[in-house]
Amino acid sequence: MDKQTEYVLRTIEERDIRFIRLWFTDVLGTLKSVAVAPAELEGAFDEGIGFDGSAIQGFARVSEADMIVKPDPSTFQILPWRGESRGTARMFCDILMPDGSPAWSDPRFVLKRTLAKAADLGFTFYTHPEIEFFLFTAPHEPGGPPPEPIDRYGYFDNAPHGVAHDFRRSTITMLESMGISVEFSHHEEAPGQQEIDLRYADALTTADNLMTFRLVVKEMALEHGVVASFMPKPFPDHAGSGMHTHFSLFEGDTNAFYEPGAQYQLSKVGRAFMAGVLTHAREISAVTNQWVNSYKRLQGGGEAPAWVCWGHNNRSAMLRVPMYKPHKGGSTRVELRTLDPACNPYLAFAVVLGAGLKGIEEGYELPPGAEDDVWSLTEAERRALGMEPLPGSLGQAVDTMASSELVAEILGEHVFDYLLRNKRAEWREYRQQVTPFELDRYLPIL
Amino acid sequence: MSRPAEATLARLGFGDPARAAGILTAEPLSGALSAALLTAFGDAADPDLALLSLARIAAAVPDPAALVAQLGGDPELLVGTVAVLGVSEALADHLVRHPDDLPLLAGGEAVPDRDTMRRDLLTAVGADPGAAAPTAAVAAAEGAVALRRAYRSILLRIARADLCGTADYDDVVVWLSHAADAALAAALAIGRHDVPDAARCRLAVMAMGKSGAEELNYVSDVDVIFVAAPADDGTDDADAVRIGTALATALMRVCSASTPEGSLWEVDPGLRPEGKAGALVRTLDSHLGYYRRWAQTWEFQALLKARVAAGDTALGDAYVSATRELVWSASGRENFVDDVQAMRRRVEESVASRSAERQLKLGQGGLRDVEFSVQLLQLVHGRGDAMVRNANTMRALESLANYGYVGRKDASGLADAYRFLRMLEHRLQLYRLQRTHVVPENERDLRRVARSLGFRMDPEQQFDDRWRETRREVRRLHEKLFYRPLLQAVARLEPGEVRLTPEAAEERLVALGFTDPGSALRHLEALSSGVSRRAAIQRTLLPVLLGWFADSPDPDGALLGFRQVSDALGGTPWYLRLLRDESAAAQRLAALLGSSRYASDLLLRAPEAVAMLAEGTELSTRPPAALETEALASAGRHDDPVAAIGAVRVFRRRELFRVAVADCLGDGDPEATGVALSDITTATLTAALQVAVMAVAGRDRLGVRLAVIGMGRFGGGEMSYASDADVLFVHDALPGTPEDVASRQAVAVANEMRRLLALPSPDPELMVDADLRPEGRNGPMSRSLASYRAYYERWSAPWEAQALLRARPVAGDPGLGEEFAGLIDPLRYPADGLSADHVREMRRLKARMESERLPRGADPALHTKLGPGGLSDVEWTVQLLQMQHGASVAGLRTTQTLPALAEAVAAGLVDPADAEVLAAAWAVATRIRNAVVLATGKPDDQVPKESTRLGAVAHLLGYARGDSQRLVEDYRRATRRARSVMERVFYAQ
Repeated sequence: MDKQTEYVLRTIEERDIRFIRLWFTDVLGTLKSVAVAPAELEGAFDEGIGFDGSAIQGFARVSEADMIVKPDPSTFQILPWRGESRGTARMFCDILMPDGSPAWSDPRFVLKRTLAKAADLGFTFYTHPEIEFFLFTAPHEPGGPPPEPIDRYGYFDNAPHGVAHDFRRSTITMLESMGISVEFSHHEEAPGQQEIDLRYADALTTADNLMTFRLVVKEMALEHGVVASFMPKPFPDHAGSGMHTHFSLFEGDTNAFYEPGAQYQLSKVGRAFMAGVLTHAREISAVTNQWVNSYKRLQGGGEAPAWVCWGHNNRSAMLRVPMYKPHKGGSTRVELRTLDPACNPYLAFAVVLGAGLKGIEEGYELPPGAEDDVWSLTEAERRALGMEPLPGSLGQAVDTMASSELVAEILGEHVFDYLLRNKRAEWREYRQQVTPFELDRYLPIL
Repeated sequence: MSRPAEATLARLGFGDPARAAGILTAEPLSGALSAALLTAFGDAADPDLALLSLARIAAAVPDPAALVAQLGGDPELLVGTVAVLGVSEALADHLVRHPDDLPLLAGGEAVPDRDTMRRDLLTAVGADPGAAAPTAAVAAAEGAVALRRAYRSILLRIARADLCGTADYDDVVVWLSHAADAALAAALAIGRHDVPDAARCRLAVMAMGKSGAEELNYVSDVDVIFVAAPADDGTDDADAVRIGTALATALMRVCSASTPEGSLWEVDPGLRPEGKAGALVRTLDSHLGYYRRWAQTWEFQALLKARVAAGDTALGDAYVSATRELVWSASGRENFVDDVQAMRRRVEESVASRSAERQLKLGQGGLRDVEFSVQLLQLVHGRGDAMVRNANTMRALESLANYGYVGRKDASGLADAYRFLRMLEHRLQLYRLQRTHVVPENERDLRRVARSLGFRMDPEQQFDDRWRETRREVRRLHEKLFYRPLLQAVARLEPGEVRLTPEAAEERLVALGFTDPGSALRHLEALSSGVSRRAAIQRTLLPVLLGWFADSPDPDGALLGFRQVSDALGGTPWYLRLLRDESAAAQRLAALLGSSRYASDLLLRAPEAVAMLAEGTELSTRPPAALETEALASAGRHDDPVAAIGAVRVFRRRELFRVAVADCLGDGDPEATGVALSDITTATLTAALQVAVMAVAGRDRLGVRLAVIGMGRFGGGEMSYASDADVLFVHDALPGTPEDVASRQAVAVANEMRRLLALPSPDPELMVDADLRPEGRNGPMSRSLASYRAYYERWSAPWEAQALLRARPVAGDPGLGEEFAGLIDPLRYPADGLSADHVREMRRLKARMESERLPRGADPALHTKLGPGGLSDVEWTVQLLQMQHGASVAGLRTTQTLPALAEAVAAGLVDPADAEVLAAAWAVATRIRNAVVLATGKPDDQVPKESTRLGAVAHLLGYARGDSQRLVEDYRRATRRARSVMERVFYAQ
């Protein structure tokens, strides 16, 4: 029994924990939970707990349903909102096959595999997400009126008595008490839109944290009598919610993206990583932006990127190299602006890392950066500059992904195949819809 | 004495005579050494080193001549001096600093006992040995120097006894452990001087590891655990731990400091609760609390060695008795078997994977192998039997032997080997008192070590032989130690002998991965009991076989199979010869029985096929002509058709076994396997046809020529173990025979052949399937050439033409076969290729098959035959190309998939990269299909999902244990790629 496991068992005893929630994530990024009593936990650490994998999106077919969840003791955390004494705690789990080997359908294993590949090259992978989301006054009813944001404020507005203010304060307190450090939070551009930035951490921890984050935000919203949503684009005429994420690779304690004196202090490794992400951006799009609605955000203009390009401190580019702060070599990083907060963070981080590593391994050359506002260029100008458009819809994204050996390699055949089938079905279903747009435009005149 | 001739010096054993001559004549020795003394120095392990050291010591004394005279006058002193100076440069350094210690080498003064050592070292640092908590009179800097000086003079006496052979290994390691105790006591006394409030804390230093087991070597980390308690009522536990931590830290610093008197060794507190992360010092209660709740199996194993080394004896004794109680009660914990398994794997892996040739400790057959083996056995049996719980490796081995857990001879062999290796280790370390385990390669160092171990004639060679032999012996015994006593458990015993109890044997079998240890023991009993030569040989062989079985996916099945084979073959001399000497054949047999149900079944029906395993060459596939000759000869030896076909089927079974074995043990090239299996079928049908003709016609001649045409996978030379033989029968009336008579005769022969091959028999049946014939099951079993021609001209459906791509004459009249081929060529290779309609029809048929032919509940992604990217996708793609271009590209006119694909590439019809993808998918699907039959004995079109079966298949395909999901991943990747090529090439999407 390792020290961490011992620590967990001890803490449960000392803190009188009555339930332990075992968390894991399905292929589409939905958090799943099974509660066990403390007495069962030792067994769970040793052998895991069996469950029916076919009941979980993308895990298994009926005939191979037996799977095992096995908690990862390093993710042990007491859940603060369940009360201090006789509390509840949670751990993230790995999914195993009955013979104890890891399940290739487990998104956490997908990320772990990619991280292991990075580790083979000597790298650790750090991520720092900026999560945007909306607060609404009431839950949405199918077919009901458009959602009502909780306020009309804008970017950085300080609303001293607003619900948003209280909400952010209690959410951050809650996150901090769960060991998730928050760097920054403010009101975003659109009505009711919030942003909370997590401190940078290694990718697996960040992905776990994001799963926790989404739950905490929704719980806190309910506590404040409002409703939170990570839907990428709820309003046609306001900006959508993205999850701009900063990425960096470290070799030991050294930032592998940093090279003093180089252009933008970006090392060869950093440039090749960026080139990898740019080259494969279209292929990974169905993972980084996995919903029909994700593409409404990407096509919506503003700060959302729609073309494959990079720029130095250029907020219209897909990949941005933030302004270098002198004497902060450790903080050199690149910001990917496609991601949205409704992604599956395990898979999304895995494909971004996998694309970047591909660039490093193959020594891709970084094309010249974009200096102008990409949205204001003409089609011809963009073509002349060699900027390819990102997929314009989920359908395009899935078709592009289908022919990507890289994405199949990163996700593993099982997840790859499942995503293709699931996303094609979603796209098919969407295309069968008759939208208010069509009714408003066509019914009167046709 | 004049300058001695260099030749004399060389003869005496000096490696660098010129230099030696120089030393002898120069100050301080100045020719003082007599010839006798010189001869004595020539006997040193390293004469040059010994002489140089002597000169250095002489230079440090006021009267070198008196020193030399003293040596000359005291034979005991001379022997000791030569022995020590010839091996240890570090001890010579000590004597240079302290020439007064030289008389210790006379050996007159025995090696002191534990108490005396403690007294000496405590006195050296000015502490009162009689005090309850001795406190040094000096601070760390000074004390560390005094401690080392005194410690080394003890070491001098130990080394003298060790090197002069007046003590054996077992004494030396105990002395070294006690010297370490004394040094720890003195270091603690220094700590008590330096640490404020030291008197308020009782501190016990527990010896762990090698020191705890009283088998320390000259230089190694000394493992300890610290226990603290308050010394008075005014001190609470927290204070005691705080002060104790300061004391422990001071103690460790004193021991590790390097001083002008050299260094000691590192004190390693890493075995404490929570390891490096845990508190350095704990109270007894805190220790016990930890062990009761959190400790792992190996920690209990470590606790077994705990012993009070220094400090508060009462506290230390309390620690020992309290933890000892926990140790074996805790070994009943639930993870126990897992831990043992993990340990066994670690042992085997550590043994298998290393190349560290000259590593004494970790190398093959090194110290670690012995220690692991002994610990493992203790772990398995110690919980049930208090008698084998002994910390000391040699003593543990002895008690394991005494109580029957290992064979007595094995134990003593292993003990001898261990002693030799440890003595070698000691000699290596004595040289510079450094912690080393690498056996030197340079000649001088090697020579010194070899001579110090007593190898005098050709020392390097002798030593090398012995070392190699020892390592081999350790390896050999290591294997047997674990397995051999399992046999004795079921054997008849001589009076007075002891053996493994059945419970202990079952424990050990479970640890090896057997799921039904009771049956396993019964098999072992049956195999090894009795006085026959077979039983004797099997008693020798089984210990090794058991190890091989344990490595296979199914140890229980393997042992059962081995018993069945052995029962069947009894005492046949060749069988015993085959098994003797742990030959490669036996290893092949073990691997086969543990991994392939199919091959085991074939073998059990006719165990004599074991003979095939003896020679590697026996396992290579045989040319078709040889197969055919043998099949015909087997049939020809019998007049009765049933007996004749029986002989043919025996032949077939043996050949199937040959291919299965090659497939299991070799690289399993799927193309070669397919060809080999089809060749066996061809030979079988050729012979069966002859038998059937005999049965139908008797002595008469048939009025008809007959030919058998292979179809499907048989025609393609791509059969798997479970394939039926798809065929067409064609005949042609001889002149003078009426058409209807000819037809009747041909059909009778065809039916007789099918009947004979399907007769109930212990040999695997061969289904001859003629359903691809015109009109299917409604059509006549055999048709004349003319009838085929008429049918194909008028009725043939496109799928029939496609099926004919696989048609290949296999048996019967060769001329008739050729005529048939000529007849169908225009159909299967249409002169103008395929019409657009025809292509569309073929695509539709395929699309319909994909949705309709899959069995209910099958997972298409894992269906090797009909799933996307599976066999059917690849084959239809190739067949489409064959039909489109066969008329113009001669190379395409083959029945085999991969060669046709290669020809299509050569003709520029397929992109080479696409062809590679298709071929890879075909190969992996075929390999999996074959492996499924081999592993499970039953055909299945699906990649197995259930983990035991998947594991068995993955094992055969060379995947590591626990990595079988990767097989699924590899299959899915290959077939996904193939599907996308197929969609492009076949469906033209």
